[in-house]
Amino acid sequence: MREHIERIRFYLKIAGVTAIYRRYFVMNAFDGALTALGVVLGAWASGAIQPRVIVGAGVGVSLAMGMSGFSGAYLAERAERLRRLRELERSLLRSLERSVHSRALRTAILWAAAVDALSPALSSLTSISPFVAAQYGLISVNEAAAASVITVFAILFILGLFTGKVSREHMFISGLRMLIVGVSTAALILLWTGYMG
Amino acid sequence: MDQDPVVKKVVLDVLKPHQPQIPELASRIAACQGVERVGISLAEIDQNTESIKISIEGSDVKIDVVRKCIEDLGATIHSIDEVEVVKKTSQK
Repeated sequence: MREHIERIRFYLKIAGVTAIYRRYFVMNAFDGALTALGVVLGAWASGAIQPRVIVGAGVGVSLAMGMSGFSGAYLAERAERLRRLRELERSLLRSLERSVHSRALRTAILWAAAVDALSPALSSLTSISPFVAAQYGLISVNEAAAASVITVFAILFILGLFTGKVSREHMFISGLRMLIVGVSTAALILLWTGYMG
Repeated sequence: MDQDPVVKKVVLDVLKPHQPQIPELASRIAACQGVERVGISLAEIDQNTESIKISIEGSDVKIDVVRKCIEDLGATIHSIDEVEVVKKTSQK
């Protein structure tokens, strides 16, 4: 098992993917959280909020984002990485089909696809999870909506801290920046649905 | 009493991609069968590749095994620049 993990780590190092995965993770987790915010606040503001509907819509959206993330990243990464491998083969005047580079390419593609699939799906599922409690009558619908919005803001703030750490900037300010995006989106949704309603 | 020649040292001119990096490459080659000591020096660096000299020493270096190891790491051997062979005395 440890040998297996070491091998994967070696392949990922050869493929040079850490920065790409960080980007994928932040961008897609951000997408997932904001999508969940849209579903919850849109339903709440239009008065059509029902735990069963929110959970159903949230799971559906998460699955769709997961599938879209997996297939999109798989295809895009495959194309880019195959192109780079062919360039390298031309420079080396040999095929790299039976080398660590070919195995690293496959590992990197699958890893990117998994990150791209799981990060939006997990962040949106986490965001709508209070509605599962509401569905079982443990909390009220309004409490679930409030908890859900707070969860989204917490996810955005944590993502902000993470990007702040990556850029070696002030982590708290970076977290606040992400939070402002979330609050602005929430305001926009409420204004728009209020206007429409 | 037979005297079988064995390779004690070989110096290779190799073209490699930037990854794996030289220390990693050296450790991986050192893990190959029959290799006891590996030295690598960088000769030239290009946009996609690096030209390096690999000096490999061992009690019985098998060039084919080393070639396989190096090629598995994505590198390609341009030439064998130096070889040191000794006669190993074995009783048959």
